[in-house]
Amino acid sequence: MSAERVPFSCGRTSLIAGNTFLEAVRQRLFLFLVLLAVALVTGARFFQSFDFGPDLGVASLKFTFDFGLGALVFFGSTLTITATAQLFFSEIENRTALTLLAKPVWRAEFIFGKFLGAWAVVGVFCALLTGLLAGLLWFRAREVLAANPEAFLHGGPVAPGDLVIVCVLQWLKFGVLAMITLLVASFSNTNLFSVVMGFFVLVICHLQSFAHQAYAHAEESSVAIGLMIKTLARVFPDFRLFDLAEQAGHEGGVNAALALRAAAYALTYVFVFGFLAVYSFRRREI
Amino acid sequence: MSAAADSAHPSAIELRGVTKDFPVGLRGLKLRAVDNLTLNVPAGQVFGLLGPNGSGKSTTIKIVLGLLEPTVGECRVVGVPSAQVESRRNVGYLPEAPYFYRYLSGAELVRFYARVCGVPRGRFDARVREVLDWVGLTGAADRRVGTYSKGMLQRVGLAQALVHDPRLVILDEPTAGVDPAGSADISQMILRLKSEGRTVLITSHLLAQIEDVCDRIAILDRGRLILEGAVAELVGRRDRQALIVEALPPGELAELRTWLAARGRVLESVEQPRARLDEIFLREVARAEGVNREARP
Repeated sequence: MSAERVPFSCGRTSLIAGNTFLEAVRQRLFLFLVLLAVALVTGARFFQSFDFGPDLGVASLKFTFDFGLGALVFFGSTLTITATAQLFFSEIENRTALTLLAKPVWRAEFIFGKFLGAWAVVGVFCALLTGLLAGLLWFRAREVLAANPEAFLHGGPVAPGDLVIVCVLQWLKFGVLAMITLLVASFSNTNLFSVVMGFFVLVICHLQSFAHQAYAHAEESSVAIGLMIKTLARVFPDFRLFDLAEQAGHEGGVNAALALRAAAYALTYVFVFGFLAVYSFRRREI
Repeated sequence: MSAAADSAHPSAIELRGVTKDFPVGLRGLKLRAVDNLTLNVPAGQVFGLLGPNGSGKSTTIKIVLGLLEPTVGECRVVGVPSAQVESRRNVGYLPEAPYFYRYLSGAELVRFYARVCGVPRGRFDARVREVLDWVGLTGAADRRVGTYSKGMLQRVGLAQALVHDPRLVILDEPTAGVDPAGSADISQMILRLKSEGRTVLITSHLLAQIEDVCDRIAILDRGRLILEGAVAELVGRRDRQALIVEALPPGELAELRTWLAARGRVLESVEQPRARLDEIFLREVARAEGVNREARP
C-alpha cells in the first residue's frame, strides 16, 4: 500500500532546532561559559601594565582585539563541542528522542534540527562577544585618539565591519565543528567519547597546515604515506582558512573574496558531514 | 474527536515472521529479542501485548514504530511498512515511563508535538485545548512538565499521543507507577478510544486491567508468541456456571446439593463473592473526597 508521502520538512527541522536552542540556553554550562568569556573580554580592557612599545595606541587596540578574539575562539570551540554533544545525548538518554522519532519525523530532520539549535546557541554566544568586543575597541580607540590625535596615522583601529566578518567566520568554523561532533555522536554511545573526539578533531583541523605542507611534498613520499596525507588533507577541514584576523586593522581590511570562499568551504563541509551523520544515525537503535 | 476504523485495512498492525537479534559483545554473539513473531492486531480493537520482563514486548513496539528494523520479517502499520516515516502518520505513542521536555508547560509540549505531527496551523490551539481537556489536564496546562506527578505525566503523554488524531494508539505500560484512581481513569480513556473507533495496543503488567479493557491479547515469552486470542474466550469457562444467591442456611444448602445430585450434577464449591481491592479503594477514596468537600466552608 502507498501512503501519502511525508517529505523532508524545514518547518519540523526548525521546530526541533528551536526546542534544542531553548533547552541549551537553560543549561548552566552555557551561562557559565558566557559569563567567563564576557569577563575575559572585558578584562582585556584592564591589562594596562603591559609595555606596548612606542606605538602605544594601535598596539593596545591590537592586544584587546587579539585577546577578545582568543576568548571567542577558545570558549566558542569549547561551547560548540560540549553543547552539541550534550544536546544530542540529552535527547537519547532522557528518551525524549523515542517520543519524537515515533512521530512522522525523518532522522535527517532530527540531526539537522539538533545541529541548527546548537549552532544558534553558538551564534548567540559569538554575537554577544562580538558586540562586547566592538564596544571595547570603540571606547579604547576614543581614549587613544583623545590622548594622541595622530595615533592612527600608520594603521587604524579594526573597522566594525571587519570585526563582524572575522567573528562570523569563526561562527562558520564552529558550525563545521558542531557537525563533526554530531557525526561522532551519531554512532558513539557516550557523551564523553563524543566530546573527546570533538576536541581531537579540533586539534587536527587546526594543525592541517602540516598536512597541507606534507601534501605538497607527497609525491616525494611513498605511495601509502602520500595517500594517507592526501586523505587527511581532504577529510579534515583546514580551520586556518577561517582565520582572517591578521587582515583586520590593516589597509584594505578583510579580503571579501577570501571570506566568501571560507564561508562556502564551511557550508560544504557542514552538508557533507551532515549527510554522513544522517547516514550513520539512520539505523541507530533508539 | 473521531477516527473510524479503516475498513480497507482490517489489521492495524501486521507482523510477519519478525525476528530481531541484537549483537552482544565483540565475538559476534547475538541476543534474540523477538523470535519469528507473526501477529495481527485487528483495527478498532484494544489489543494487549503481555509477557514477563525481557519477553520482547518493548522491542516489538519499537519495530512497529520504526525505531528498530527487524533482522528478518516484515511489519506493516495500517498497510504501510513500519520502516517508512509515512507509517507513523497514523500512530500515537505513549512510551513507558515517559520523559518529556521538563522546561515546557503541558500546553507548550502538546503544541510542540502538534506542530511536529503537522496539525494544521489554524487548529493548533483548539486541538491542544481539546486533547488536554480530554485527558483532564486543562487546569494544569500552563504548569511546567517538570512539576507534574507521575499520573499527570501519563496524561500529558496521552495528550501528545492523541494530538494528531491517530488511528492507532500504542500505550507502553500506561499505568506503571500510577495510583489506582489514575489507573482507573486511564482504563476509562482506553475504552473511550475504542468507542471512537481507534485501535489501541497496550502493554501492562496489571493483568486485571488488561482483562477489563482488552478485546484480544497475545502473550510473549523469550521473544516467542505462546498464546493469542480473544480475552472472553481465554478467561471464560463454557463448561462451568456461577450462581450468586443470598446466603443460604446450612440446611437449604444441603437440600440444594441433594437436588443437584438427583440430577447427576455436583456442586463443586460454595464461596462468598469478593469485592476487588481496587473497587474498594476507589469507592473509599471517592467517599472521603465527598466528605472533605462537604466539610469545606
